[in-house]
Amino acid sequence: MTTIITKTVTKICIPLIILFSISLLLAGHNNPGGGFIGGVMFVAVIALTYVVFGLKKMKTVFDPHWEKWFAFGLILASITAFTPMIYGHNFFRSAVHFVDLPLFGEIELVSAGLFDIGVYFVVIGSLLFIFKNVGDDE
Amino acid sequence: MIDVMQHLPILLVAIPILMAAVMIMLRSHPKLQNILNVTVSIVLLLMSIQLLFHVWDNGIQVYEVGEWGKYGILLVADLLGSSMVLLSSGISLMALIYSLDYIQEHSLSSTYHSLFNLMIAGLNGTFLTGDLFNMFVFFEILLLSSCALVVSQGKGGHTKTSDKMEATFKYLILNMIGSIVMLIAVASLYATLGTLNMADIAVKISALSQSGTLPWHLFMIAPLFIIVFGNKAAIFPMHYWLPDVHPSAPSPISAMLSGVMIKVGVYGVLRVCFLIFPDALFLLKPMIIFLALATIIVGAISAIGQNDVKRLLAYSSISQVGYIFLGIGMGTALTITASLVYLVNHAIAKSMLFLTSGSIIHHAGTRDMTKMGGMIQSAPLMSSAFLIGAMSISGLPPMGGFIAKFMLFDAGILDQYYIPVAIALLFAVLTLFYMFRAWLRMFWGEERDFVEHGEYRAQNTSLYVSIPIILLAAAVIALGLYAEPLIVLSQAITDQLLDPQPYIDAVLTRGVR
Repeated sequence: MTTIITKTVTKICIPLIILFSISLLLAGHNNPGGGFIGGVMFVAVIALTYVVFGLKKMKTVFDPHWEKWFAFGLILASITAFTPMIYGHNFFRSAVHFVDLPLFGEIELVSAGLFDIGVYFVVIGSLLFIFKNVGDDE
Repeated sequence: MIDVMQHLPILLVAIPILMAAVMIMLRSHPKLQNILNVTVSIVLLLMSIQLLFHVWDNGIQVYEVGEWGKYGILLVADLLGSSMVLLSSGISLMALIYSLDYIQEHSLSSTYHSLFNLMIAGLNGTFLTGDLFNMFVFFEILLLSSCALVVSQGKGGHTKTSDKMEATFKYLILNMIGSIVMLIAVASLYATLGTLNMADIAVKISALSQSGTLPWHLFMIAPLFIIVFGNKAAIFPMHYWLPDVHPSAPSPISAMLSGVMIKVGVYGVLRVCFLIFPDALFLLKPMIIFLALATIIVGAISAIGQNDVKRLLAYSSISQVGYIFLGIGMGTALTITASLVYLVNHAIAKSMLFLTSGSIIHHAGTRDMTKMGGMIQSAPLMSSAFLIGAMSISGLPPMGGFIAKFMLFDAGILDQYYIPVAIALLFAVLTLFYMFRAWLRMFWGEERDFVEHGEYRAQNTSLYVSIPIILLAAAVIALGLYAEPLIVLSQAITDQLLDPQPYIDAVLTRGVR
């Protein structure tokens, strides 16, 4: 697994796949994509580095507490869901706002997008937490 | 400002989910976790009391999540749902306080609190949802969180991890099969009727049966739901996972599993059979009566042979759930009222007994009743609590269990179910036998051989352990001496169950916002 070819290809792939996962995340809500798919894509690339470079070496470079990502995502998603109550609406009511930006044209800002970002982090945190712990087990 | 009264149903589900996430963030502050979780549980208990009073005064409450109208996710709080939420919040608060002292610090600070919150969210969601598929989702949350909680280790480590793993494996696999069956049942209902909203399903099925075009496979779907909920509640052919899982869980979790979790199955049968399939009841009632009697017999006979105190209590749970299902199977207003009273009494008494048994095991250093004896000298609180619980389970007069059993048998005889009542009465005597035999073996007689088995652990019962047990014991006695409010509430619930029209009206005819 750790031939020079896989290592080089992996290094090239990391930024591409991460960007692709973010674009999937942002494409969600109206088009195919969304938090879950984007998160799984992100997990795939991190898992690839774990497999190619080895868990020990990756830990020296980049070793976040994945369970914190999970918790952050869940908190973000819950807060998104709670917020409409402050404005006198029901739980989970979503709001839409259109913004005109000079270069991009009209952009649709949806509060459900925040929920999607929460899901993104939940998926990343939970899958990588399991992956890392199972891999760590001697 | 947020109008809390209006949002009560969703808050009861959403706050525990939020707290589960917060607890992971607070992993490095165990003290703060404990304080926060107990506070949240108290708040949830107060909110569930509020919800019950609100529903009692103002009728059934419907909450649209996300304001999608009739086609979105609905939460419906009727009397049955909100009183089950009150029951589960009360027992979970007690179990939580108990577990602060009982569960190992390591497991308490890492995962226990967040899983416990997820379990509460699953329970409350199951009781409050108005939508069949969401019920399935909450069942999954409940299953996975409770499965992980069974593995968490109590102090002292009286259960081997290998036993826990075996039990968890059985629990997970069998309940997954149950979930698949439920998914098949829900999917076939959806394919037939095109809706998942329970009130909508009820309307469509009654319209179909009035026009005489009820598809035959609906009569197959109804028994599928009995299988699913029967698996959750451990009735006869599906009971064999319970005596492994409940004893190997740590005691506060056993109390939750036996006290509330198996009642989820009872709730499901009440909700689905009486709301969705009133036309199939002629088919279901004899089935439920037969299974209930088999459950009573198998549970009671197996309980007699047990030496392990928690296994005995688990088999007794199986047998007692049989009595609850017997009342549902007879299916008249009186018997359903009786089984609701029975349900509440059993939940409180059995969770109290499981909490007590945890302390007994801790005190004696073993789970084997043959190695205990004469503990009434060294553990007076535990012995009196166990006696109160045993009296309630076996149905002796001053306790709540007596009222429940009396009402059940009385109603059964009035409705001329002589043979089922006779069988149930016979095995109620066995209940008396095995509960009191356990009490005598543990607390009376000679003190055990100290040379062979060692001294009893010195008595230093902490407040965390004794307060929940005392409060639950007080509730058991109070339900026996002053049962009137519970009986009135159960009668109101039964009226709502047998006449689902207000429920359907509340869900389907609302002003669209």
